[in-house]
This record gives sequence, structure tokens and C-alpha cells, in this order.
Amino acid sequence: MVEGEQVTELVRTRMRDDPSVVALVARAADGDQHAWDEIVERYAPLVWSVCMRYRLTSHDAEDVGQTVWLLLVEQLGRLREPAALPGWLATTTHRECLRVVAVARRSQSMGSKLEDTLPFADPSAIDQEIITAERNAALRAALAELPEHCRELLSMLVSDPPRSYAEISAALRIPVGSIGPQRARCLERLRKSTTVIALGEDEIPTSAPGGGPRV
Amino acid sequence: MFDSADDEQLLAALRQAVRARQAVPSRFVEMGKNAYAWHNIDAELAELTYDSSTDTELSAAVRSGTAPIRALTFSSAHLSIEVEVAEASLLGQVIPPREGTIETETSAGAAGTTPVDQAGCFAVEPKPSGPFRLRWRTADGADVVTAWVTL
Repeated sequence: MVEGEQVTELVRTRMRDDPSVVALVARAADGDQHAWDEIVERYAPLVWSVCMRYRLTSHDAEDVGQTVWLLLVEQLGRLREPAALPGWLATTTHRECLRVVAVARRSQSMGSKLEDTLPFADPSAIDQEIITAERNAALRAALAELPEHCRELLSMLVSDPPRSYAEISAALRIPVGSIGPQRARCLERLRKSTTVIALGEDEIPTSAPGGGPRV
Repeated sequence: MFDSADDEQLLAALRQAVRARQAVPSRFVEMGKNAYAWHNIDAELAELTYDSSTDTELSAAVRSGTAPIRALTFSSAHLSIEVEVAEASLLGQVIPPREGTIETETSAGAAGTTPVDQAGCFAVEPKPSGPFRLRWRTADGADVVTAWVTL
């Protein structure tokens, strides 16, 4: 079982004080439905991915998701550390999933150990889930803020299945030869966006352990 | 975090971010947004302080064949609400005992009211499916709502 405080501690040091999360929580606590919607948009993938780790059915995942958001609505004005919201969400989802798994197991009186089905037996796994979710949310937010032509181009470049340059050229009405340079410029804008910069250089462990100075 | 030389790395991270969002059913997101309708309920909150389903000692007992009855306790500063999950209903007690009513709330809205007798006892029938909470009220204005739970 992951301790709430343990995750909170990690998120506190990792995320420092993400001003956008703190502001969103404050606005939602104040009655702003748009701020609430943005919180849900931003972190629904985190809640969903934790449910999927437990291999819940979509019905159970919906119940868990709904319970988690209802609990958050209830806690909006009480969160001691709004910046640690991703940690709170991950821990709460994890706990609600455990409940579903435990109840199902009990009603089926299955003999196997609960521990056998736990995806987060290693506490660092849930930490990683939070970090990935935060990075993904920042990248999506940064993408949404780019000028339209960059947003369209990058969206096509990461689409599933992948699009060829010829398809992109036809859809966006730009010459094939300009896709490469435009791609580079748009990625540079993404890299320079404040939300991506705010992630810090320690997000991906490519540098030496301990990390170098912030650039 | 993203080396300026490495566009491929950044694009791969962006791809992962976009797909993680696309993997989430829109219904799942909509339900989350709708939860905000419950914001600012003016009642004292009773947190879930005990749930037998996550009680590890009890889990061991169940594996060895003891009858499983799920029990939940919600506690606020002034009282606790204890609930047992029976076959088709919820049986509960408000402690300290006081007369009043228990209203069942689901994510869709109020789902029924049941009386609380002098001993603080009440029964909710049928038992709710999906997330719900119980709201206890008295004639003199006491108003306590439990945390959301799913059976």
C-alpha cells in the first residue's frame, strides 16, 4: 500500500510549486466550473491509467473515476497542498481501485493473495505514474497554446497511425519541403513554452545522477 | 529537460502525451466534469475512517472462511455513522443515537430518504449502485454528509 504522505513528499520535491495547478485548485474551490473542467481534462489520463493498471472493467473504472472526482470536489477547499494534486489523485485512485479489487475478490472468495494482483507493489511505480502524467499534461498544455499552424502540424506528426509528409502536405496545404523546417520551428516553440520549461531538467534521467544546474 | 538538439525525443514525448489523453473515453472525462455539480454542499463532512474491505487482518480471516460482511465507518467531529452492507440493503446507525433522516445521494442526485429512529438506526433499500453518500439531517438543523463511496 502506498502511503499518501510518501507520494506527497515526492511530488512536493519533484513538482515544487506548480503555479498553474495551485491557481486552478483555488479557482475551482471558488466556484469556477471552467477551472474544474481544466483540472479534469488535465488529470483524467492519470486517473484512467491507474485504473487500467488494475485491469478494471470500464464499468468499474467509471465508478472509481467518479468516486475520485467526487472526493476531490469535496476536498477542494481543504487540500493542504494544492501543488501536490497529482499525488493526491494518484493515491486516491489507487486506494479506490484496491477497494474494488478487494470486494470482487471477497465476493468470489478467491484463494489467491491480494498482493499478486497489485500493480504498485513497488512504491516507485506509482511515483513514476505521477511524474509521467505531469509531464504529459504539461506537454498537452504547451501544445494547446501554440499557434494554430504549429498545433496542426505537430498533431499530425504524432497521430496514430503516423501520417506521411505527403498526407500532411495535402491536409495542411504546405509544400513537403517546408514540413521539416516548420517542424523544427514548432518543436522549438514547444520546448520554450513555460509549462515545458517548468518541468525542469530532472524529469528524464538522461543527465548524471543528482542532475546538473538548471539551464 | 529536452535537449535542443533532440527533436525526436521531444516529438516522442509529445506523442506519448497526446495518446495518453486519447486513450481516455470521453464519457470518463464527462463524468469527472459533472462531479462539480456537488460543489459547495453546506454540510459537515464525515470522512470514511474504516472500511472492512481494506482491512488486511480481516482479509486473512475471510480467506480462512469467516462470513464476509462489509462494514464502513464515517466520522465527523461530532458523530459517526456506521454502516453494514447486507444482501439487498444498507443497515446503519448514527452514533450518538439521534432521530432524523438519511438521504441517499448518488452522482445523479438525491435517490431517496429514509427515517432514522430513536436508537439512531436506519435502513437504506435497495442498496445504491455506483458512487453514493449519505446525508443525515435532524429537525433542529444538524446536517452531516459522508464521503463518497462505492460498494
